[in-house]
Amino acid sequence: MDNKDIKILMVDDEADFRQLMTFWLKSKGYTVSTATDGKNAIEIVKKDPPDIIFLDLRMPVLDGLEVLKRIRRFNKDVPVIIISAYINDPKARELTSYNVAGVFYKGENFEDALPLLETALRTHRKLKK
Amino acid sequence: MQHITLIYIVTILVSIAIAFFLSHVARMSSQAKVREGAGERHLSMSLLDEDALKKTISDGICEVVESKQRRREISKAVSDIFANELEKRVELNTQELDKKYNSAMEQKTQSEEIAWKKYMKVLAGKKETDAVIRSIAEGLLVVDGKGNVVMMNPAAEKLLDVSKNDKIGKPMLENIKKEQIISMAKSTSGGKDKEIEIFSEEDETKKVLRSSSAVIEDENGQTVGMVSVLSDVTKQKELDLMKSKFVANVTHELRTPLVAIQKSISLLLSKTAGDVSSTQEEFLTLADRNIKKLSRLIDDLLDLAKLESGKMQVKPALTTIGSVIREAAVSFDAWANTKSIKIEERVQEGLPDVNIDAQRIGQILNNLIGNAIKFTPHGGMIIVEAVSNNMKEIEVSVQDNGPGIPKEDLDKVFDRFYQTGERNLSDISGTGVGLSIAREIAELHGGKIWVESEKKQGAKFIFTLPIIGE
Repeated sequence: MDNKDIKILMVDDEADFRQLMTFWLKSKGYTVSTATDGKNAIEIVKKDPPDIIFLDLRMPVLDGLEVLKRIRRFNKDVPVIIISAYINDPKARELTSYNVAGVFYKGENFEDALPLLETALRTHRKLKK
Repeated sequence: MQHITLIYIVTILVSIAIAFFLSHVARMSSQAKVREGAGERHLSMSLLDEDALKKTISDGICEVVESKQRRREISKAVSDIFANELEKRVELNTQELDKKYNSAMEQKTQSEEIAWKKYMKVLAGKKETDAVIRSIAEGLLVVDGKGNVVMMNPAAEKLLDVSKNDKIGKPMLENIKKEQIISMAKSTSGGKDKEIEIFSEEDETKKVLRSSSAVIEDENGQTVGMVSVLSDVTKQKELDLMKSKFVANVTHELRTPLVAIQKSISLLLSKTAGDVSSTQEEFLTLADRNIKKLSRLIDDLLDLAKLESGKMQVKPALTTIGSVIREAAVSFDAWANTKSIKIEERVQEGLPDVNIDAQRIGQILNNLIGNAIKFTPHGGMIIVEAVSNNMKEIEVSVQDNGPGIPKEDLDKVFDRFYQTGERNLSDISGTGVGLSIAREIAELHGGKIWVESEKKQGAKFIFTLPIIGE
């Protein structure tokens, strides 16, 4: 499967990180769409389900946890990687029961996100088979 | 003729009497100690002797003198002499005894007075000590050899949340709430300073006490008890924790934007976002280099936070030390070039692989090489060496020809936040934590780190790594 065929949804209210990460992922050949809030993200997942979602945990109105809960109501298996500015975020611990593929700390090098992404996709594909 | 015989007899008898007296006096004076009632006994003794003597004398007179009249006269004369002498002796004895009795009484009174004074002094001293012990803010607890409480002051009662009356003479651990037992058991098991955590069930708070204990020994070196001083360090602990959390949070917050900047620059430099001119590239490289420095500084602070919370982890794997040195040295090439400094690697051939966390050991090397570049003058040389020593260790050293470190600072350079005025010895980022982190990492690997230096002769930092399985 070519990177170009992999659709990533990047959900983050913080523009700097969202733009930069999106650009970087695109430079690695992925197809990336973005959402700036939870409501928008849920709509996109409903309309055009992505292969994987990067979901920011701390967002106004609908936070990452709430967005995840709502997505899981209609989509049980799309892999979700949580992104957080806080290492060992206590909120991240609450997520384990919602089928989360991994947590990416915003302070880490972007390169460290790649293995997370690839493992999540591989596991997902295996499960589908 | 009869008259002369009489005088003769009287002289003999008087001599006998005097002889008796002398022997009696000799016996008396041989008795050294003066005891109560002794004088009385002496008197009755001499009276007894006197009766026997009288009988002997009158028997003797009866034998030599026939006339009754004469006998009576002689007897009376002898009796008079005898009584006179006796009276004198008794008086002398009485006087002597009186004197001795008086001096003994005087002595007794004096020593009683001294004893009383001493008692009062001790009592006053005890009261003073008691008052001091009662009023000190630190808790004081004394237990005997069996662990029974001998003494505790009000501060100890308050800190341990127990009543003295319930505890004196009883084991410390009796009737103490479940959670407290564990920590008290720890604290009474002997030795040095300990931290005790006490949970109060009522208000669900936690108290942290620091206990310094010392064993009480008798003159034979047998342990007879233990004295503990307890101080409340709850506030201090809370502050420590707050500080660590604050540092960790701030540095994490710093990292997020930093990574964004670093990533933006590297994207521009990789020309993924389009072409850049050579001048633009130069400035971007400069920005990139400085971001890396900043990043290293923040990593140091994060490591410090990890060390303080005991979360620093080492993931060892069999590694060739030469490759770790190579990687570290290469990463400094650009910086060293700006000062025309040569970094020379001298790795002994045939060194066995070591079980180390390559990233962490690389961190030590980065720190040492970075320091060396910072203090080596333009055109200088830095030698990074690895050799095995006879202690089954690999010795890795970084030597510069900078200004060196004054002798009095050699022990201090590894202390956290330590910096000297003349030369910032700590690390390139100048927080003063680099070398203390290096020491922690070396020690986590079972090695040690030290520095050898003479002023104006450069400095040589050395750390050891144990060779496993040799």
